[in-house]
Amino acid sequence: MDIRTRVSTIYGDQIERFGAQWKAQVEELRAAHPGAVESVLWPESYPTDVPIVFVTRDQILTVLTQLRDNPGMEYNFLSDITATDEGDEHGRFHVVYHLFSPKNGWRLRLKVRVSEGQEVPSATAVWPAANWVEREVWDMFGVKFSGHPDLRRILMDQRWVGHPLRKDYPLRGYQLFPDPAPVDQSLLE
Amino acid sequence: MAQMNDKISELQTGIPGHYALEHDPDDLWGESRVIVNIGPTHPAMHGALRMVAKLNGETIEKSYCEFGYTHRAKEKLGENRTYHQFIVYTDRLNYCSALTNNVTYAMSIERLMGLEVPERAIWLRMISVELARVIDHLICIGISAVDLGAFSFFLYGFQQREEAYSLIEALCGARLTTSYTRIGGLANDAPDGWERQVKEWVKKTRKVIDEMDELLTGNRIWHQRTVGVGAISKEDCLRYSFTGPNARASGLDVDLRRDSPTMFYRDVEFDVPVAQNGDVFDRYLIRLEEIRQSLNIITQCCEKLKKGPIWVEDKRVRIPDKDVVHNTMEGLIHHFKFFMTGFDVPAGEAYTPFEASNGELGFYVVSKGGPYAHRMRIRGPSVFHYQALSKMADGGKIGDMVAILGSINVIAGELDR
Amino acid sequence: MSKDGSAAYFTTRLDDFVNWGRKNSLWPLPFGTSCCGIEMMATLASGYDMARFGAEAIRFSPRQADLLIVAGIINTKMAPVLKNVYDQMSEPKWVMSFGACASSGGIFNVYSVTQGIDTVIPVDVYVPGCPPAPEGVLHALMRLQERVAQGETFAQRRERQMRNKLELER
Repeated sequence: MDIRTRVSTIYGDQIERFGAQWKAQVEELRAAHPGAVESVLWPESYPTDVPIVFVTRDQILTVLTQLRDNPGMEYNFLSDITATDEGDEHGRFHVVYHLFSPKNGWRLRLKVRVSEGQEVPSATAVWPAANWVEREVWDMFGVKFSGHPDLRRILMDQRWVGHPLRKDYPLRGYQLFPDPAPVDQSLLE
Repeated sequence: MAQMNDKISELQTGIPGHYALEHDPDDLWGESRVIVNIGPTHPAMHGALRMVAKLNGETIEKSYCEFGYTHRAKEKLGENRTYHQFIVYTDRLNYCSALTNNVTYAMSIERLMGLEVPERAIWLRMISVELARVIDHLICIGISAVDLGAFSFFLYGFQQREEAYSLIEALCGARLTTSYTRIGGLANDAPDGWERQVKEWVKKTRKVIDEMDELLTGNRIWHQRTVGVGAISKEDCLRYSFTGPNARASGLDVDLRRDSPTMFYRDVEFDVPVAQNGDVFDRYLIRLEEIRQSLNIITQCCEKLKKGPIWVEDKRVRIPDKDVVHNTMEGLIHHFKFFMTGFDVPAGEAYTPFEASNGELGFYVVSKGGPYAHRMRIRGPSVFHYQALSKMADGGKIGDMVAILGSINVIAGELDR
Repeated sequence: MSKDGSAAYFTTRLDDFVNWGRKNSLWPLPFGTSCCGIEMMATLASGYDMARFGAEAIRFSPRQADLLIVAGIINTKMAPVLKNVYDQMSEPKWVMSFGACASSGGIFNVYSVTQGIDTVIPVDVYVPGCPPAPEGVLHALMRLQERVAQGETFAQRRERQMRNKLELER
């Protein structure tokens, strides 16, 4: 069954409304930063709701800044940053950025392929909202973000070992701690 | 002890004629600072949130926030439970408005499968979402009032919540954790005469909201505690990814029900209240007005509700009825396979945002074609709101921090997942 | 006091009186973490009024409360905090495990959730349900009141049993 044969009672008709704009935006990105866009998966040919743009690791910040500031794009709202454990040979983790333009209503998805041990530049320079969601990606997947002001665990205890959302981490079996996490005074400077 | 400099300033309240004392804190305290751990268990009943603050007298100089004390690993569970089994876990996200989470999750999976939900189910879903929005806002403003000392306001709101609970119980059997939607429709139909009861409840709630409005909106003590407190500007809202009533209180006019309408939101009329200052008082006013707008939507949906099926007749998702299961072999096998192995969702990915009571609730589902999701990401709006708490509370007093925490409506279920 | 050490008529009447006082004024410490916290608030609110049972004075300080109501999930990050709060309460103290998540981990059998608070602290009464209906909570409270009327907390009973066991072994 096709994700493209969507009925407007369930969700809006994004491809009809934004198909042309998306194509123009990706062309502009490719022209402005050659080599940044590795590949694009379009909704017409791949089962997705918005285009997925694969960006190289070192160019992600320039792409995000361009998408935020450029008048034809105006993706100035960061919906989410997350990651998936794909086990891809080009990069085990895909860090996913969801962008939204409140003024125009269009959405986009960017993906960055990261291998184990590689680092992604942090998007906190572009949006301060990225701070905690990147910490969550580090906590859950073990993907480091370079230039992040405060990269420590957020959902699990600071003394936890392992990254839970990786595919090789078991669902059960927990680690108990004898005392609650102490106050970290260095964060209050 | 050093002498205090008393400066009377009109600025603190912003209301002409209302003065507040402003003294120079360094005279009294010098260089000493106190570090206070406003720990995971604290009287402001907002769930297990931790804030560590460095205090200069009563002013918070710097603070950092922690959460994760109710982390239940729902995203990991999403990869280990079938799509039908996961409905139960979605209730426990924003547990004050459980129906909204159910509806958003069902919508996200239906998108991946390309299902068309019958009309009656969509109207009932809209009524449930707006009902959930009303009870979530009632709890938010009720609890924030209790934190600042106004206890009877909380009781009025809770009485209406109890009556709404009776309505929800008549609809799906449970008060709080409803698990009402199914992939492709709803679990059970509304009983006869339910719409009439809903309309009566709406009438009564309108009167109660007017009473609650009279209690607090013009109250001078409420003004002094909330006006000008915890203000966040429109640009900061965009930078911190605020959504929902918190963003609209600062002037960011985004409402996904109006801008990217799903279900039948194009066919109902409602206004979207937007304020300017972004302080605690504005958030309270926005929520109060949104309750009224939601009551309007519920009335319109009740009038447009017609008889019809509530579950799409698609063999993949429709659980056969009990008489078919008990009397036919095919029904039995279908039932068995559905619950033991689950149904396959075709490969694909989609991010489904929805205007929940708190903001943009999003489900990013990546499916590789099996009965379990490959990645079930839940974008809870409370994460982004709580992130900005340090920014809003630094420089203010501890009492202000309590007011701000109450107004941004942080729900631990959404925050920690 | 009689020769074998058992209490006589006057002291048992006094005990009964004290226990009657205790059971009708159980002051809860609502340790509400997640969804059950909302149902606990609903039980304390005007619809299902827990104040009728004397439990109106909710005290958020462990030194001032005697009934610890653990409502909601306790995960591995929160368990030491719960133990701290329990240890700070003064005797006699009772614990009510409110909801399925507190009693046994509920529907969350995952890496971060303790499968029941009785792995961390001793519990007197368990209330099943996800979340429990307020009628269930009040029933559990009445059962707890019967237990209080008997005069011993769980910790005291366990201590007495251990002492008896050690005496038998001697």
